[in-house]
Formats: sequence, structure tokens, C-alpha cells
Amino acid sequence: MSVTQEGFEPLIVAFCCNWCSYAGADLAGTSRLSYPPNVRVIRVPCSGRVNPSFIVRAFQRGADGVLVAGCHPGDCHYHSGNYHARRRFTVLKQLLEYLGIEPERFQVRWISGSEGAKFASVMDDLTENVRKLGPNRKLRDAR
Amino acid sequence: MRAASEKMRQVAAEALAEQQVTAVLGWRKKDFWWQSPVAFVETAAAAEQLTFDPFSVYNPVKYLLEEDSARAKIGVFVKGCDSRAVNRLLQDKRLERERVLLFGLPCSGKADPAKIRAAFPAKKIQEVVFEGEELVVLLTDGEERAPASDFLLEKCLTCRHPNPVVYDQLLWEQVPVRAGVDERRFARVKKVGQKEPEERYAYWANQLGRCIRCFACRNVCPACNCRSCVFDQAEPRWLGKANDMADTLNYHIIRAFHVAGRCFECGECERICPSGIPLQEINRRLIMDIDKYFGPYEAGLDPGDSPPLGTYRGEDPAGFDES
Repeated sequence: MSVTQEGFEPLIVAFCCNWCSYAGADLAGTSRLSYPPNVRVIRVPCSGRVNPSFIVRAFQRGADGVLVAGCHPGDCHYHSGNYHARRRFTVLKQLLEYLGIEPERFQVRWISGSEGAKFASVMDDLTENVRKLGPNRKLRDAR
Repeated sequence: MRAASEKMRQVAAEALAEQQVTAVLGWRKKDFWWQSPVAFVETAAAAEQLTFDPFSVYNPVKYLLEEDSARAKIGVFVKGCDSRAVNRLLQDKRLERERVLLFGLPCSGKADPAKIRAAFPAKKIQEVVFEGEELVVLLTDGEERAPASDFLLEKCLTCRHPNPVVYDQLLWEQVPVRAGVDERRFARVKKVGQKEPEERYAYWANQLGRCIRCFACRNVCPACNCRSCVFDQAEPRWLGKANDMADTLNYHIIRAFHVAGRCFECGECERICPSGIPLQEINRRLIMDIDKYFGPYEAGLDPGDSPPLGTYRGEDPAGFDES
């Protein structure tokens, strides 16, 4: 968001799977739990739907942190989407780190539909960690 | 090496004369001593131009994708790395095994023209050949000899499969794997990995910052064989056209990711790069991670297996916080 270090408010993009994590976000809401307004939730059918390009593009277009949230292993609505996601993002996360991108900026978490409190606390932690890092300059479009 | 070229010509001419194949892919000598590009030979007479010399490094297998699929059988000369490219295309269902006749060429490495230019008077070089373990440089005023292993391409010094892994006919004796290959394989990756995160970013910003996005690394890569590429797509446009570090990083992250678990370390991307970007350091890092998390895997050995990112196991470890 704001690019000045003082009063910097990070922009977090969260790709949430429709069946678990998005329901978890709903539960956080209906339970009247608060989580930072910095988070923009994008609903996807499954964590396996998330293309690594989505993540890189989110960073390019101004995200300071990106979260992929899906069902716990074994709970995938489509049987194996999150297992594939786990392999993919394991590799992608190591690659980003290897290229010198701060590892805190890209996170993957399993949040079920009954974990409203976990959703809120993951968002709190992520926002706080990214706030400490400051704005994402490495992967952001200069334009 | 001259005997090798002779054998090649003879085999190609026979296959063409007997109409086992309609064309043969190999290499021919071009104008300069360091040029042995891929040759497409259609007649037994034309097979005379085929050559196997220290510079027959280009991978002929990817040319099969450009070829009219209606054409009957094609003969292809394959070194160890080229044969793994065949497996790559078979695994990706971009090639039918029956369409190609593979002539296997065990290969003990190809020469790096840059290393030769640095060591000998470049303007006087007429021809460069291997003789056993020696590199022979024929100059306008005499000849010089040196150990061949000092002049090999980096990719050949780390080659684990110098003998073809798939072929119909082997042209000569198999060669041994070079000593110390396993130690050298990940040496550069580990060195970069040891840097501090900020230092590592600076290193990559400097290396990748030279990228002119010519896409040569993609075009040459046997693992990059999609019919249409995400980087060429206009709607949605995944990769911007601007000269912007973020777009360059995007390209290199996604390119490397798309070949993860499919790259078999032929090193063509790095060799072809006009900006000299050490792309193998990225590809090998992915191989290292895949080995670490999902068990050792080498691509291009068995076209029947499933690549690590196309499958899963329930008990896989995660490279991120799973709590």
C-alpha cells in the first residue's frame, strides 16, 4: 500500500480454497473475530488451482505478502488438490528464498472450515511479519 | 574423432539408402572451426557432410518438434544428453517412439570454444579435434596438443550419463562416467546458497538483470516443449514486455518452475544464453530440493514414470510451516 516506511500498511493477498479456508474466513467473521483489514481474500476452488504465476503476479501488482490457504492434507474436496499444492509450493518457496526474496512474504497454511480462530491468527501474524519487513520492492513492477 | 564421423556417415547413408528413414538429424561442419550446427540430411549422398567433432554439442532432438508429423521415420544421432531429451519428449507425449530411429553416440564431452580461444592464438586456429584424451589444435603454422578435460564445456564436466539411455543402435563402445561428477554437480548451487539472503538477492539481481528476454533458454530447452507457451500468451498477459526487473524475475521464476522435476541438466540453457546467466544454478537448485523433499529423482531416464510435480504421496514433507 503506502510506500513510506513510516506508517507502512502492507497489502496481503490471500488465496483461500472455497471449501475450507474461505469457510474458515466466514467463520472468523460470524464469530466476530477481528483480523487485519490489510488482507484481500481471493476465493479459489482449491489450493491446487493456484498457479505459481498468480503469486508472482500478485507481488508484481503490489502485494507485500501472499498467502495460499487450503484444506488440511487428507481433507481436499477434490481428493488430492492440496497434495499437489504441497509439492508445488514446497518447491516454489525454496526457489523464492534462493533468489533472495524474504521467506516471510510467501506463506502456505492449511486452515479448515472450523478454524475461524486460526484464520484470524494466521492473518495477524502474516500482516505483522510483513509489516516488519517493509514494502516489497524486489518483485514489484517499477511502473 | 575422424573415425567417429566416418562411422556416422556410413550408418546414415545406409539407413537412407535402405529407406529405413526418410531423413537423418546429425551435425555438419560450418564456416568456422567452432561451428557444428545440426544438419538435416535427406539423401545418402548428402550424408557425407555429417560430422561428429568437439563442437557437435547442439541437441538435434528438439528439431523433431518442428518437423512435419506426417513425415515417415526420421533417424537421429543422440549423445547421452540428447537421448534423455528423447525420453523427455516421449514422457510429455510430444513424440512417438516409432517415429524415430536412434543412433546412440557415447560421448566423453564437448569442447568449449571460449576456453580454446583463451589458450591458443585464436586467429590461427584451423581445426580442433579430439584424439583420445587429447585436444589437438591445428594452427596455420603447426599444431598444439593439450589434455581434453581442460577444455570441456561445464555441462560435460558434470555429465552423469555420457552414454545414451535410449537408442536402437550404438555406434561405438560405451565411455566411462567422468570422475568427480557427483561432487561438482551441486557445487555452484551450494556456493550461492551459502550467501546471506540480501547478498543472494544482489547476486541474482546482477545475474538476471543482464537478461534481455530473448527466450533462447526456453527455445533450446527439451523440457520446454508446450505447444503454446505461457510467456507468449497475450490474453491474459502473464509476462509484461517492459524492461523491468520484476518482469525478468517473473520470467525466470516461472521458467525454472515449469521445468522443475523435468529438467535433466543438459545445460543447454546456460550454454545458449547470450548474457551468460548461470541458469543451471537455478535448475539444479530445484533438482536438489526435489531430491531432498520427495526422494532422489532423475528426469529423462524412464519415459514411463511420473515427474515429481505431477504426482504426490500422502506422507510428503512440506517445505513450509504446516502447523
